Amino acid sequence: MKRVVTIAAALSLAASFSIAGNVVTAVKVKSLKHLKCGSKLIRKYAKFQKVVVYPQTTVHLNDKKANELNKDAKAKVVEVAAFTDGKNVAIVTRWPDKTKDVYKGYKSDIYPDGFAVQFASDASKPEKLPYIGMGSDGRPVAIYLRKAYGQGVYEPNGNGDVAHQVNEHNTNNFGKNLKKFKKEVKKLGVRPYQKAFVSEGFRSMTEIKDDSANYRTDMHYVKKYHKWGGMVVRPIKDAYAKPAKNEFAVAIAVWDGKELQRDGLKRLSSWIAVKLPGAKNKALEKVVSERVGGDVKKGKELAMTNCASCHRWKGAEMAPMYMAPDLSNIGGQATAAYIKESIVDPNAVVVPGYNRNSHPNFAWYTVDDKGHRTSAMPPFNYLKPQEINDLVAYMQTLKAEVEK
Amino acid sequence: MSKRQLAMVMDLNKCIGCQTCTVACKTQWTNRNGREYMYWNNVETYPGDGYPKKWMELGGGFDAAGDLQPGIIPNIEADYGVPWDYNYESLAEQNLLSDKPEPGFRPDQSPTWGPNWDEDQGDGNFPMDNYFFYLPRICNHCSNPGCLSACPRDAIFKREEDGVVLVDLDRCQGYRYCIAGCPYKKIYFNPKISKSEKCILCFPRIEQGLPPACAQSCVGRIRFVGFLDDEESQVYKLVHKYKVALPLRPDYGTQPNVYYVPPVDTPPKFDENGKIIEGSDRIPMEELEKLFGPAVHDAIKTIKAEREKRKKTGESELMDILIAYQHQDMFRLDHNYYVEVAKKKGMKPLPLVDERYVAGKHTKPSSISHFKVHA
Repeated sequence: MKRVVTIAAALSLAASFSIAGNVVTAVKVKSLKHLKCGSKLIRKYAKFQKVVVYPQTTVHLNDKKANELNKDAKAKVVEVAAFTDGKNVAIVTRWPDKTKDVYKGYKSDIYPDGFAVQFASDASKPEKLPYIGMGSDGRPVAIYLRKAYGQGVYEPNGNGDVAHQVNEHNTNNFGKNLKKFKKEVKKLGVRPYQKAFVSEGFRSMTEIKDDSANYRTDMHYVKKYHKWGGMVVRPIKDAYAKPAKNEFAVAIAVWDGKELQRDGLKRLSSWIAVKLPGAKNKALEKVVSERVGGDVKKGKELAMTNCASCHRWKGAEMAPMYMAPDLSNIGGQATAAYIKESIVDPNAVVVPGYNRNSHPNFAWYTVDDKGHRTSAMPPFNYLKPQEINDLVAYMQTLKAEVEK
Repeated sequence: MSKRQLAMVMDLNKCIGCQTCTVACKTQWTNRNGREYMYWNNVETYPGDGYPKKWMELGGGFDAAGDLQPGIIPNIEADYGVPWDYNYESLAEQNLLSDKPEPGFRPDQSPTWGPNWDEDQGDGNFPMDNYFFYLPRICNHCSNPGCLSACPRDAIFKREEDGVVLVDLDRCQGYRYCIAGCPYKKIYFNPKISKSEKCILCFPRIEQGLPPACAQSCVGRIRFVGFLDDEESQVYKLVHKYKVALPLRPDYGTQPNVYYVPPVDTPPKFDENGKIIEGSDRIPMEELEKLFGPAVHDAIKTIKAEREKRKKTGESELMDILIAYQHQDMFRLDHNYYVEVAKKKGMKPLPLVDERYVAGKHTKPSSISHFKVHA
């Protein structure tokens, strides 16, 4: 009897998986040293996989103009490919963007287009991947960011060259000397705008400034196709992320300057499995592609009775703003495993919330003496396994329409 | 909430709009690349659009329920005004003896707005009822800062020891939500380094016994600086004892720590025949109420009553404070306190560079030679 039950369980599990999308196989090449956007190598050998990036809506931001522009933001299809030379891995991405927004000059209210590639530090437990976009407590991510800056970003670099931070009009320079001064200042510009971060959750993202992150990025716009191309090259193994069984879990984020996007205002993919040569394991690709076979209708009823009093999503806007993360695109960004985990054990990953003081009555979590965060959400582990499946199946349908 | 709060009081009755504070701040702090357009301190004419243009209409702050309100990020060209420069070089090169000499100074671009664009314009009909007064503005170092709430990176913090609100430039990524969140629009974006910058209440000066540059340089002696928990400080007396110093736009819900003594005495209005309308005030009360909240009525009453008292009895502590006979009476800094804070943190305390203004509640008079002389 026991054996029969086991077989039945295995069958039902198998039925709930359907492997599709979000799996990228890295192409082995000789060297990535000279890889750039538009390289022949990419044009000839890249195996692009279509991935959907969804608007990030978890937290509500306070930029009035940007909120209006992003109110009905749709999802976009991006293409992702990977290369490896045995030592390094390159993630190449292409995404549609009708407008090329490059940050230039002396402006306070415009934003450049940009992209980021995020690596889960540890992909060995695929069902426990970090919170998408930011990582989570004990599950860090490494993030590589590139923005379309048409000028160097001048940052005082701590080398004691304070004299060059001074505006040219406040110096005694004139004529040729002034030109020399300007040149020196320009030299101090960090160019291009690329940064690497480690992050273990909202508000923890920290720039790696000690040169320990060996990476490079590139991005360029192809006017003909109205597309941006971007790439990140980093070592296969470093202190910030390493593959598990020749597999990486990566995610892609893109920002559209035209829509005043930056930070959380972006489009973000779910976890993507990048398979390096020799990767045979199926666990990661199963997790990133899992579609739960549940009753969506029943799931919706369950969500309306159990979730909608705190969470908001498109079609369920009864809960007050700021009370809990917005779930409008959860189906596009979170894996089924993550949604399931969050339902039964909300403390596993605690999203700290966006505006700490935005509504003092709605703390998303409490902190104990040891600094551990406890989510304000009660565990819904009393739901029957089938009910949880229904709920997850419904949550997976929550995502923005894909832009055509 | 910080342990102590450093605060400033500005007596608007004494501000003459000379911009000395603006220049002191500008030359001390915002003369660097990317800060050309920034005025951490500015003096605007009220009523007027101010700096940035129409800042009171750009959103931010909190509603009655405590929700952070969305705001608009001002544009450098239209709302701040790009600082223009003059054609010094061509002036030096041009041949002034030629038949058609180039005219002299020309701006290098057409200015559209600036920090003092509508200076002295005011409102009303001249000479019947026109009015204006000056409104110096710095960051309010709020107890509930909109900028801090809006920052998704924890890059803005309020110093535990004195409540000064600062930007951690290492963490700042230039998202600019702080600008949208600050209803006073007193955070500026530095486009060259792609980070936010703001008034630091001159904390490096305060820690060494010097008042903020704007306050020390003020020729009208309108600015008082001290800790709000120091009952001997003029700031405490003006804010809590006499309640004549009020926060600007308290309705924004940020609990500002820069306070204003509202303008009390205004000339009377004239009627159609050019005769004085007795008992009239040029500055409409509703304007003052909009700026300083309903408490402005009581504040004005108190000041008027104290002035009468002074006339009759020759005595009034409030009048003595507001007159500010001695410059050092206006600042009650607390060097010893900062020394203790630094020691607790295992840091080397900064040496005192000016002892005239140091008299805070943690600083015993005997510890400073200046007080020994006068003891």
